[in-house]
Order: sequence, then C-alpha cells, then structure tokens
Amino acid sequence: MSYCVNCGVELDKTAKECALCNTPVMNPREVIAQNAKTPFPEEKGQVEVVKSKDMGIFVTIVCLATAITCGLLNAFVFTGALWSLAVIGVCVILWVTLIPFVIYTKQPVYVSILFDGIAVSGYLYMLAYMIESDKWFWGLGLPIVIYITVILELLTLCIRKLPKSFLTIGLYVITAIGLLCGGLEFMIDRYLAGEVHIRWAAVVMTICTVIDIAIITMLSLRRVRNAVRRRLHF
Amino acid sequence: MSKKEKTQENSIKKKSTHKDWYKLDLSAIVYPTLQRRDFSSVYRLSVLLKEEIKPDVLQKAVDMTMPRFPTYKAAIRKGLFWRYLEPNNRPGPFVQADVKNPCQPMYFKANNRYLIRFYYYGSRISLEAHHSLGDGTGGMCVLMTVAAVYLRLLGHEEIPNEGFVLDITQEPDSGELEDAYMKYANAKVCPPRPGEKTYRVRGTKEPFYTLNIIDGIMSVSQVMEVAKKYNATITEYLNAVLLYALLEKQQKDWHIRLKPVKIAMPVNLRRFFPSNTLRNFITMIYPGIDPRLGDYTFEEIVVQVHNYMRYYINEKFLRGDITTNAATQRHPLIRVVPLFIKDFVVRQFYTKVQDRNSSAGLTNMGAMKVPEAMKPYIERFDICMGQPFSSRTNCAIISFGDILTINFASSIIEADVERYFFRKLVKDGIHVKIESNRTLDVME
Repeated sequence: MSYCVNCGVELDKTAKECALCNTPVMNPREVIAQNAKTPFPEEKGQVEVVKSKDMGIFVTIVCLATAITCGLLNAFVFTGALWSLAVIGVCVILWVTLIPFVIYTKQPVYVSILFDGIAVSGYLYMLAYMIESDKWFWGLGLPIVIYITVILELLTLCIRKLPKSFLTIGLYVITAIGLLCGGLEFMIDRYLAGEVHIRWAAVVMTICTVIDIAIITMLSLRRVRNAVRRRLHF
Repeated sequence: MSKKEKTQENSIKKKSTHKDWYKLDLSAIVYPTLQRRDFSSVYRLSVLLKEEIKPDVLQKAVDMTMPRFPTYKAAIRKGLFWRYLEPNNRPGPFVQADVKNPCQPMYFKANNRYLIRFYYYGSRISLEAHHSLGDGTGGMCVLMTVAAVYLRLLGHEEIPNEGFVLDITQEPDSGELEDAYMKYANAKVCPPRPGEKTYRVRGTKEPFYTLNIIDGIMSVSQVMEVAKKYNATITEYLNAVLLYALLEKQQKDWHIRLKPVKIAMPVNLRRFFPSNTLRNFITMIYPGIDPRLGDYTFEEIVVQVHNYMRYYINEKFLRGDITTNAATQRHPLIRVVPLFIKDFVVRQFYTKVQDRNSSAGLTNMGAMKVPEAMKPYIERFDICMGQPFSSRTNCAIISFGDILTINFASSIIEADVERYFFRKLVKDGIHVKIESNRTLDVME
C-alpha cells in the first residue's frame, strides 16, 4: 500500500496521485496496479436529452387545424374574398418561428432568422396577391424585410462571436437600432417621395451614436466600467 | 354474492389500491424549483456487497421492489399552483453500469420520467434519487430492500424483513407516504430563520457535469476514541474538523475581512417525532464559528459545536423550525399564487439567502442497522450528498460495523477543504484511506 508523503493518507493501489494534494505516487516497492479495478468507473455518463415532442406536435396540430378550417370555410361558406390566406399566412409564420423552440432545437439561430425572414416575405407577397397590387411589396415590403433580417443576423453574430458582457450587448443593440431607423427612413423616403431626406432617423441615430460613445468610453476605462457594473447589477 | 358483500369488497379494493397522486412534502417543494440545466438535487446511496453484482438479477430485484414504494415509482408533474407526484407505470427504472460522474442532473421528462436511478459497479449497488421523492432514510429503505431482494434471489432466503428492509408483499402503510411535517408543525410561534451571510468557498468551476468525489475510509472505533478525547460524539467531532478545515481555507485565501463559517447539517426528525414516513422529514441546523471574534483553537471549536448541538437539537426547537417552514406553505395568499411566480420567488430566496447561510453541507446517516442475517454479505455503505448548489463542498458520513466512510462531493477543481479535513484526522492519529474519481487530467 502507498501513502501520500504530503497528507499521510493511504491511497488506493490504482491511484497515480494523491486526490487531496495531487502529489504523484512513487513507491519503488509497490508498482501502481494498472489493471486492477479502480474504486470508481472510468467511463463518464451522459445526461439523457429531453425533446419537447408533445409541444411540437401540439403547435403543429393547432396551426394546421386553424389553416385547414379557415381554408375550407373560405372555399365553401364565406366565399366572398380570399381572406383565409391572411390567417394561413399567420399560421405559417407562427409555426416557422416556433421551430427552433419546440420542434427542432438544434436548428442554428442564423438559419432560424433566415426562415423567419422568408416566412414574413411570403406573407407580405400573399397580401399583395390578395389586394392585386404588388408595387408596394417590391418597392418597400421586401427591402425592409431583407434589411431587418440582415441586421438581426449581424446582431446575433456580434453577440455570439464578439466579447459578451452587459455593456457590449448594449453597444450592439443600440448600434442596430440606429442602423435600423436610418435604413427604414431611407427606404420609406425613396419609395414615397423618390428622393431621400433623412429627418427623424437622424435624431435617433445621433442619440444612438452618443450612447455608443458613452459605452465605448465605459468599456475602455476599467474604473468607470466597474462603477457602472456595481450600480446596475441585478 | 349479495350487494352488501360486493360493496364491502369494492371498498377493500379501493383502500388497497395506491393513490392517484401525492402532494409534495414541505421540503420537496423547494428542490424542483432549484432545478437548472446543470443542477438537480440528487443524492446517492451505495451498498458494497462482497460479490460481483449480477445485473440481470439486480434488475429483477428492482422490478419486484419498486411497486412497494409508490412515492419512488413516481413522476413529478406541474399543477397550476404546486407540483405533485403521480404514479409512474412506464417501463423502468432500469439498472445501468455505473459512471465516473455520479449524481448527474435528473431532468423530469427523461429516464421515462423516473426520478430514481440504479447503478452497479463491481460489487457495488448504487441508488440515485431526486430529493423531491424523499430523504436519505427513505432512499436507504429502497436501497436496502432492493439489496435484500437481490440477495434472496441469489439463494440467501434467510434474510428477514426488519429495519430498513421492508416486506415487498405488503401494501405500503399510509404513514410511509405521509407528509410528516404537517403533522408536527404546530408550535405556537414561528421562530425567525437564521439569515447571516457566511464564508463561501471560492474555486474554479469544473466543466459541465463533473462531480469530484473523495471518499475517506476509516475505523469507527478509532474515530470514536479520538472524539472521546475531546468529550464529543463522532458527529460533533467531524463537524468541528470540517469547521476547522473551512476556517483554515478562509484564512489562507485572499480576503478583505473574515466571515462566519457555518455548516448546514440536516437533522433526521424521525428521532424526535414518531413517524415512519419514507418521504422527506429533515430540517437544517447551522453549527458555526465566527472568526471575527478571535482565533479559535480546535478544542474551542469542538466545545462550540458540542454546545450548539445540545442547545438546538431537541424536540421543541425543531418543532419551532418546521412550524416556521410550514407557515409559508400554509399561508392562504401564498397558496393561490401561480407556480411560476412561486418558483421565481423561492429561487431568488434560496440563491440570495438560504444558500449563503452556510459554507458547506454535512450529513451523518449514522450507523447502519442491517438485519443480522444480511451482515455477512455486506462490506460497507457509501453516501454522497450530490452536487452542491453553489461552488462549495458537501460532506456525507455513514458507518457500518467498524467502517466509517466520509464522502466529499464538489464541482470545483480545488480540494483544499478536503485536504485540510483529512490531514487533521491523520494528525489526530486516525488512519485514513482515500478513494477518488479525480484524475490528473481533470485537476490540471
């Protein structure tokens, strides 16, 4: 039997070091029993992953039932206009949005945002088809959806890949809000007036820039950063 | 058969069938609330037999035993206001080969919704149970009954049903399934809860799902002899050694000011209030030392622990304690608050107050009482309190015959507290053998 020279405890014959102080076992009179059974197993266990199947089935059935019911009512009872397309579109958006939460939890967040963007674009096109005028869709609806999707993808990328803290996340979000407002006014002006006059977005972007500068200052000065953390901790 | 006879027969059948659902007991309410992705309140009890375990026989023993324990063959469900247990008739629980990282989180929907696991390794049978089902005494009844049935299946028919071994052919007694807290929470005053912030062990967190175990195996008579020198019982002495180790650790750590060091120690209430419940029936006491008052010698620590235990561990104080705990659950306004709000408040209270009340946990299951005919087949017992809620270490003690096992479980890399603890025992002249699941690659 071997004893730890540091702690004075007897060690198991399979132990290569003392579990208390990490001192290696070196006993020339007794070689470590390499093949003997260790007191604890060598294999690590894995926790069983739980899939929220029930919720996925429930959401799918609710969306599908609503869509089919409205479709049938529109086809045979209230046949005036294609109103059911609006409801079916909402069901599709809801289902696509809920995929990463209840159906396929391993879906990458970037793909989820992309799918959401595609679903919303599809819904808007459906509305355009219903009112038989798609000029607003190509000129305003689709560019706005693409722009928002890109901003969300970039924001997610920043949050996941760049340094993450309360202040840095604030920095990314505020910057995204500024860019979003600027882009929205640009697209709205271009569609409605044909020329671009940035007004309200300029105010928002100025405020966002000031806040961003303040955050960057806080991030670069450790003393200020700690003071803010202390006062804002929750 | 007359109508009257038929009604009588039906009523007997109704009485003998198990209940459809069980309310969670007073302690059990808290444990599911604290459930995180990386934390479950799971404890482990093991019995080491003298022969290699046969998994197929063990599975048969588990299958035969589990119906006897309806509150363990159960699944946890959410109601609008409280969680509850309902009988689980899904296949299982299945015995499985043991793993290096025990007491893994137990998700309520995994493992066919069972909140109990059985493992085998060499000659060891281990049971892991979620604390919401019951405490160590209840779990030990399940484990011992499984072990007795297993040994009987191997041909040792002489093992009787006594002590922790229950008769699997009998219907469970209503007392075994009761929430004993509510029966005895009847003091006329609710004493305030202790709420002092204590020293917290700082350490480097281990990767996800790693639980470091260090078992110290020693002789009961040796420990008793040393404890007697200090005029203390084994529990008091070991408590004092743990406090000593924590004080050492705090002293050697970098600190601005010292904080009190306290140990959360569960007390088995069955010793004071007659109950044979298999569910939770424990309450916490907090023996401690305040180093801000001055430097304590080890002898002074032992005296402090000894006096604290004499003062607090009695039927009156414990009744007051459980009355305070029960008052919250009984309050009509709290009862109608939806579960998710209760969960939020309880989690905040536990994290900010309860968890900071103590620097470490220590439980002593005491000497295991085993039927005389079963003793020749048992080597020793082992107990593990499971993963601590925050970065600290939990200590659990159990003895059988002349073997005392002290188990430390922690999810931090540093083993300073354990080292100071066992070194003190060695210094006091106790021979300690260490077994661990730690390996060098984990510690580096």
